Amino acid sequence: MRTEKKTEKIFRRQNHAPRFAKMVRAVIAGTIAFAVLPVPADFSGNAALIASAASGEESGQTEGGKSSGEKVTLRIANWEEYIDEGDWDEEEAIELEDEENTVILGENSMVEDFEEWYLGTYGIEVNVEYSTFGTNEDLYNQLTLGNDFDLVCPSEYMFMKLIAEDRLQPLSEEFFDEENEENYYIRGVSDYIRNIFDTNTINGEPWSRYAAGYMWGTTGIVYNPEEITKEEASHWAILADPKYRGQVTIKDNVRDSYFAALGILNEDELLDPEFLSSPDRLEQIAEVMNRTDEETVAAAEDILKQMKENAYSFESDSGKADMVTGKVLANYQWSGDAVYTLDQAEIDDYYLAYAVPEECTNIWFDGWVMLKDGIDGNAAKQQAAEAFINFMSRPDNVVRNMYYIGYTSVIAGGDSDIIYAYADWCYGAEEDAEDTFEYPVGFFFSGDDSDPDYVITAESDQADRQLFAQYPPRDVLERAVVMQYFDQENNQRINQMWVNVRCFDLATLSWQDWAKIGAGVVILLAAVLIFLKRDDIFRKR
Amino acid sequence: MKMKNIRFSRKQLCIPYALFLFCFVILPLAVIVYYAFTDGSGRFTLANLLSFFSNGNTIGTLCYSLVIAAAVTLVCLLIAYPVAYILARSGLKRGPVTLMLFIMPMWINFTLRLTALKEILTVLEGNLSLHPFLNTVIAMTYDFLPFMILPLYTTLLQLDESLLEAASDLGAGPAAVFFRVTLPLSMPGIISGITMTFLPAMTNYVILDMIYNSTYIMGSLIGSYFNIYDWNNGSMISLILFAVICIITLITGKGERNNAENRGAIL
Repeated sequence: MRTEKKTEKIFRRQNHAPRFAKMVRAVIAGTIAFAVLPVPADFSGNAALIASAASGEESGQTEGGKSSGEKVTLRIANWEEYIDEGDWDEEEAIELEDEENTVILGENSMVEDFEEWYLGTYGIEVNVEYSTFGTNEDLYNQLTLGNDFDLVCPSEYMFMKLIAEDRLQPLSEEFFDEENEENYYIRGVSDYIRNIFDTNTINGEPWSRYAAGYMWGTTGIVYNPEEITKEEASHWAILADPKYRGQVTIKDNVRDSYFAALGILNEDELLDPEFLSSPDRLEQIAEVMNRTDEETVAAAEDILKQMKENAYSFESDSGKADMVTGKVLANYQWSGDAVYTLDQAEIDDYYLAYAVPEECTNIWFDGWVMLKDGIDGNAAKQQAAEAFINFMSRPDNVVRNMYYIGYTSVIAGGDSDIIYAYADWCYGAEEDAEDTFEYPVGFFFSGDDSDPDYVITAESDQADRQLFAQYPPRDVLERAVVMQYFDQENNQRINQMWVNVRCFDLATLSWQDWAKIGAGVVILLAAVLIFLKRDDIFRKR
Repeated sequence: MKMKNIRFSRKQLCIPYALFLFCFVILPLAVIVYYAFTDGSGRFTLANLLSFFSNGNTIGTLCYSLVIAAAVTLVCLLIAYPVAYILARSGLKRGPVTLMLFIMPMWINFTLRLTALKEILTVLEGNLSLHPFLNTVIAMTYDFLPFMILPLYTTLLQLDESLLEAASDLGAGPAAVFFRVTLPLSMPGIISGITMTFLPAMTNYVILDMIYNSTYIMGSLIGSYFNIYDWNNGSMISLILFAVICIITLITGKGERNNAENRGAIL
């Protein structure tokens, strides 16, 4: 039965029918609008008439709600494929075994549901303009070019950058009021995550003043357990291991690659028994993994050059497919995409595993932040933005998003046990399963690893697979550190190092290569010479 | 409603084109030059220029791009010339159809073509990452070949048959006819073919990304600087690339002009 659930889950992610249906709907709506609008336009260009016709249509739509006349427009930007878009089939309904036997079914898109919920709860009509971005840098460039968004969801280093540049609007005090029933975020966020958001600071201000988490995870290695042992995959060094030349992929961005390089560089220090047993090990790892002095960067450059020689590819997306099709044996991956890769491979009965290096791992977040320019002191807008974060943090919506995206939400559920029930629904073994083990997830859900309420009985292989990737156990989180946002000078040094790594290094050419190049040049010159002197060569005698 | 008859003078007709040239050629170039010679805070500096030429890695990438572009252009030329010659001169009954077959891959989206090529190369080589340079040249040749064939085909098709006959009548062997008449007369085609393949081969880094060549060429270097919001260094490298292309165009253009003069003298 468990595999059946799995297949359903995988099916959803591949199912593009909903989007097609949406497209058809959009086209029909567009055609109708096109057919209707030109009619008033024929009246010698009376713009006022068109405007009144359009607004009349809008107010007609809202008669159902208790509209108070004001209307808020909320401009949101999120990652692609990073929110539930609804249109689930009936048989996709998730029947949870929580106290109330909740059934989760995404009928409409999350955005539509939010607009309806907001109108019903606050009596204010909100119009969400939802757009997506592909990389943090794309988003940042868009923010630089114009005032386009009110609420965005970048990764932690990008919101740290935005905080440092004083471009974010702090979350209101009301948002942190745990008494308010509607404040799903603060009531439901995992204590573990909340602590990280409270203690990590930039320019003396904690993240939590500006940012509310959305999804989170670790970084590690997806590997093929038939070719690579767990022990090998559990060290950053595998990414530079000549034994696996052309068999590993590395992330094509400087931060992730630099982190891996530092992991290799500091392996001895990080695995030193004394270091491992020290009481402030986590702080020390954070210090080691955030070094940016010239010496460290230079040493990392050498390691990265070695990794470049060794790797199959630097990838930002293709690694998942190359892993599933068996082109590579190991893949440096974020835990969310690791789950996706493992799911995909499972369809072909190909079993992969996920390991988090023994030395340390980079814990990452995507979080909601409000733009100062966008909100612009508009209290109604800020309220809507914060309500959106809360709506996304409502336990049933968390499950919908997690099911659709496959990543792990920062929300543990608070009073509600729906999210834990969902984890159990995904990974709990069937009662007749033979080879099972107890997997405690209390560290995330209640802050206490030995909490008997949060132990999933899963099939044994889940210790290295999706469950492990989605809810890392305590020992992984005890070596999971945040990679800080570096200041201008250090950033520039690391970026320059990255350019050096990726450029062509003339020093790597052997004398054979030089000989080949020399021969090529000679042949080319000879050809040109023959062409220029053709009159002498082919002159008829 | 009856349209009034409006007449434009020649000068007035030029205005939209002049505006276009100003907005989309002159102005962007001026912006690039401005960024290339200033630092982050807008002060004049030569640091961007110096840092490019004082770093062995970036110079290495310039050389690497030049070598890749030269190899791709040469391979394209060697494949395309015989093809274009046969299509244009040998009186094939289905010449245009055959030409179309060569051009047709261009109508298919290039990411699809490259993905297919990637799979084929994987089967042939076992592991793509072992021959990044070779793979890049193969992929780029595959992609740019039509741009080399088309101009060659057009020039060879327009070749005046009587000149070739005259050369044979005056006693030139086939080799002499080819090297002394056909080849010089097809120089314009060769040169436009070279400019159409050499230039993109230095900058089209999407192909490198897709074929898993993790070494930067000039295009990827520019992209990487823009990615980290370093418009100044990115613009400087664009400018350097621009200069390199200008030099190459000047050289080939000059060769062509000399050639034209020579040909005049011979005829």
